[in-house]
Amino acid sequence: MLPFSIELRPGLPLAEQILFAVKKAVVSGQLRPGDKFPSVRQLSQELRVNPNTAHKVVAALVAENVLLSTPAVGTVVAAPVAGSRRERAALLGSELERVIVEAKKFGLDIHDVQAAVEAHWRKLSEPSKS
Amino acid sequence: MNAIETHGLSRRYGRLEAVHGLDLAVPAGAIFALLGPNGAGKSTTIKVLMNLLEPTAGSATVLGVDSRRLSPRELARIGFVADNMELPEWMTVRVFLDYCRPLYPTWDRDLESNLLQKFELPTDRKLKHLSRGMRMKAALIAALAYRPMLLVLDEPFSGLDPVVRDDFIRGVLEVSALGDWTVFLSSHDVEEVERLADWIAVLEQGKLRFAEPLDSLLRRFRRIEITRGANSVPSPSQSQKPIPSTWLASEEAGTLHRFIDSQYMEGDAERRCAELFPGAAINVQPLPLREIYLTLARHPEAAKAMQP
Repeated sequence: MLPFSIELRPGLPLAEQILFAVKKAVVSGQLRPGDKFPSVRQLSQELRVNPNTAHKVVAALVAENVLLSTPAVGTVVAAPVAGSRRERAALLGSELERVIVEAKKFGLDIHDVQAAVEAHWRKLSEPSKS
Repeated sequence: MNAIETHGLSRRYGRLEAVHGLDLAVPAGAIFALLGPNGAGKSTTIKVLMNLLEPTAGSATVLGVDSRRLSPRELARIGFVADNMELPEWMTVRVFLDYCRPLYPTWDRDLESNLLQKFELPTDRKLKHLSRGMRMKAALIAALAYRPMLLVLDEPFSGLDPVVRDDFIRGVLEVSALGDWTVFLSSHDVEEVERLADWIAVLEQGKLRFAEPLDSLLRRFRRIEITRGANSVPSPSQSQKPIPSTWLASEEAGTLHRFIDSQYMEGDAERRCAELFPGAAINVQPLPLREIYLTLARHPEAAKAMQP
């Protein structure tokens, strides 16, 4: 079993779906810094995906400092990204834009969006129930 | 290096040309899916590759050797499972594997028992008394246990129930490792191969429609939706500015204009849209592989753009 929640949906790029699931698991505390991360082989077999895809995901997560590759233990979950708050916030750019565009399409204003963001924030900050 | 190459490969049965001028390159290390409707020539192609048929024109090389000259030495590095494969029906699973084992110097007994256990195959049952799925699993063990460099699967999933299919995929992934291990499989169902394949080729009426890495397909196709504001902006049919020829399947209804960009570049497409439809809201969504497949079937010109 994989130590994070994931449900692959057909049609969408697999690597992106797995990347997102892992990052979400880190943010929500399902994966904690220092936790051992599954091997490429395990990922491929558990998710029934091409090993090249699994390899790419792990490489991308290491490159983004979400995972840490250690010679002794293998791959582990890294401590949260260093760098300035502003740098980290900049990572959200394209996601935010998508949210804002959607919100505008639905005719919501900034207060509706703030309330929704806050509600979702609280949901993810609660200790994981799974 | 390519695990499989074909050059102008053709095969006719009497007057019927089942495969016509096929140029295919399967890179080593890929899981390569050959898709196409029934009767497209997939099985014929595979039979030529496995030297069960001779090409009527052109040639094929498999692991660097002309398909017509495949010797036991090469065949010992190739695993092959076909949907309608002939098996020695009178043998039990145990006897069948005992019979195969000495043919392959690289046979791995641990892997064999591991797969037997995983597949829950009754070893004392005769092959003719096994269900279709069970027979496929027995054939797969006999094709995987010697850790071939190339695994060729002809319609491996057709007619298998979901559980057997999942076992089957698990078995293939069990043996696969990164590196030179190549899988070439045919299927008539895109969704069957979507998670597994990293290369997609489509054969139709004996001809190659396209062959492209899955990544590249998923990256370059996007569905773009443009919602025009209340103060109407000219619709593209009225607009004087030309629409890029890579924008396909253009549709319009009400304030919504929708099309598929077959050469999507992030930022670029958004800029073009903003120019053509000032003030409109733009929504860009990835396109599922099934829809990419349909789009390419209806717009063959979109496939040509990528070919070398």
